[in-house]
Amino acid sequence: MDFSRPFLVLFTLTVLSAGVSTAAVETATDPETGLQSWHLRDHDFSLQLIQRLPDQTRAFFLARGFNQPIADQIATSCVLQAIGKNTSHAPDGSTIEYNLADWRVRFDGKTQGIKLKSQWLQQWAREQAASPSSKIAFRWATFPSQQTFEPDGDFNWGMISFGLPPGSVFDLKVQWRQNQQPRKTWIRNLQCPSDR
Amino acid sequence: MSIRSLIFASPLFRLFWLGLVLAAVSGNSLAAKQSLTPVAGKPPAPAFSLKDMDGETHRLSDFRGKAVIVNFWATWCPPCRAELPSMNRAWTNLKNDDVVMIAINVGEDEDTIFSFMGDYPIDFLTLMDQDSRVIGNWPVKGLPTTFVVDPQGQLIYRAIGSREWDDPNLLEMVRQLNQKK
Repeated sequence: MDFSRPFLVLFTLTVLSAGVSTAAVETATDPETGLQSWHLRDHDFSLQLIQRLPDQTRAFFLARGFNQPIADQIATSCVLQAIGKNTSHAPDGSTIEYNLADWRVRFDGKTQGIKLKSQWLQQWAREQAASPSSKIAFRWATFPSQQTFEPDGDFNWGMISFGLPPGSVFDLKVQWRQNQQPRKTWIRNLQCPSDR
Repeated sequence: MSIRSLIFASPLFRLFWLGLVLAAVSGNSLAAKQSLTPVAGKPPAPAFSLKDMDGETHRLSDFRGKAVIVNFWATWCPPCRAELPSMNRAWTNLKNDDVVMIAINVGEDEDTIFSFMGDYPIDFLTLMDQDSRVIGNWPVKGLPTTFVVDPQGQLIYRAIGSREWDDPNLLEMVRQLNQKK
């Protein structure tokens, strides 16, 4: 068995996490794909954000009936794969709630919201540009805009589009409620994947 | 002997790996702690009428008097794919207990589902919600989401995200609903 690869991954993870200003966020790089990921664990909430290559996202939406211009538009809007999870367990577990509309992106000296799925759907409704079946796939493949996770196993996967050009580096303010108590933290230096 | 061989052969390095393995095992046992969330107020499960892969129509009301597990899923959804084998094993355990298990596919056609089932066999009832009208009536925000409906047609439990459905604790929660009817 070759122990060197996992050792290198662990080493990379440790070194990179030491460089992140928010202590609760770990950063890792997949040694095979080179894709980066960020993992926040704080107050019973776990959030992983994983880079997706624009080609991956483009292929996913083309396969679900989007035309090339719209698939390109989504693919180049800084799409990351998100996995949100309630890490607590009964009997002392927490209820975790979030609303993506509360999250903030800081990029190039400006602060803005995430590009929400409702904004995409409104845009396509105006342009009459996407078929009903492709919009269904988009709705369910994207990370829920609002959710409540209960203890003992609740989690979701889904894509989040941050509405930034490929290769952009930005900070993200993540907000959630733990048993109604507001929590927030910044994930620094997130990087949109390049369109290579 | 190279430095690399010296490091990998050293007792300290082996201890380090033993620690990692133990950490992984304890992590898995924590991950295995799972349950279903009781649905507040036990609202009536929204009615539906959907076709299966053979074109036959099924209504939720057809199953009144039995506990029903209703799972919303799609073929492209990684956690949905992850839980289907355990749902199939759970079905093997539950099918003689007057429990109904239904997988409602969201937004896909029967060719897509049929080809997917070549790799992920589903032995229980699979229905198609192609225009997503049914999932829109249920309190679902992400896939997969699974509900347990009691024999009186009320939403009793909910799970957001995948579960290991052949977990005896989960199966017992479902079986108990039939004992209460």
